[in-house]
Amino acid sequence: MTTSITIPTIETENLRLRCARLSDFDAYAEFRGSDRTAYVGGPSTRTQSFDKLGEIVGHWHLRGYGRWMIADKVTDEPLGVGGLFYPADWPEPEIAWSVFAAAEGRGVAYEAARASLDYAFNTLNWTTAISCVTPGNARSIALAKRLGAVQEADFTTVDGMLLHVFRHPKPEAGA
Amino acid sequence: MIAPRLETDRLVLRHHVMADFEPLYALFASQRARFMDGPFSAKQMWYWIASEVGSWSLMGFGSWGIERRVDGAFVGQMGINKPHHFPEAEIGWVVLEQHEGHGFASEAAHAALNWAWSKDHDTLVSYIDRDNARSIALAKRLGAVEDPDAPLPEGDDPSATVVYRHRRAA
Repeated sequence: MTTSITIPTIETENLRLRCARLSDFDAYAEFRGSDRTAYVGGPSTRTQSFDKLGEIVGHWHLRGYGRWMIADKVTDEPLGVGGLFYPADWPEPEIAWSVFAAAEGRGVAYEAARASLDYAFNTLNWTTAISCVTPGNARSIALAKRLGAVQEADFTTVDGMLLHVFRHPKPEAGA
Repeated sequence: MIAPRLETDRLVLRHHVMADFEPLYALFASQRARFMDGPFSAKQMWYWIASEVGSWSLMGFGSWGIERRVDGAFVGQMGINKPHHFPEAEIGWVVLEQHEGHGFASEAAHAALNWAWSKDHDTLVSYIDRDNARSIALAKRLGAVEDPDAPLPEGDDPSATVVYRHRRAA
């Protein structure tokens, strides 16, 4: 297969979901280096963060879908990372979100997750979608529930990482 | 940007696809990966491959999957990469065990080097474990010269890592 994909840009009320780029690195590395990543495999060194920024882009080309840099629609400032995520050690494709410290409390993760779900179900015609949350990540568990997702049995990755699994309701046709 | 397709007599260098993951993971989870920071977990392998795919977009270079032209068999990986802890861009290669001994790494490396020179790279390095005799032999065959003054990747030890420098012909 030699097809290539163009990473789509999606605009919501307040956000632009766009391809990650090198100019996002400092903001992303600051986030990855902070305690905010305790529940998402961090904190990360700048070297690890650089690989992870590349992974955000590379995922699209390997899977045909992926995560976006969540940017402020007006300023284009990077606010977080979210979208469709299916690394090799995951149980199935998920809807993922992370928000940088400066963007907390503005509903950014919720707005990005809604757009991601819409893209998964209505553009890619996914029949189901989960979100994986590390035990103890109360904010993400609360968001998964707010999105209407229902908790299922836990999953342990091949590397031994325990994940709580939440399954999103499939939207009604035409909804 | 994704990896450009390069063709040689026997090989095609093309962008990575998901099917490349399992054979590379099998290799990198084994002792064969001892010269390449391995063995890797599934998570490490995913980030390794995906970041080198994303590198094409971020940096303008990255990794290719190598296929045998005659039957499309996946042979290995060729990459030009500059992770954050590398002082400069490196060219590196890995060939699956069952495809060793045919000169595939050399053939693919020639194609990748020629691509790099055509894109105005003047030099690339190869960071090689001093015990990795096969890779050192290939670097020399490719015309690279040991560069004892080259800075090493952050965290690397000169007693363990040797730098071979490739240069574009004047």
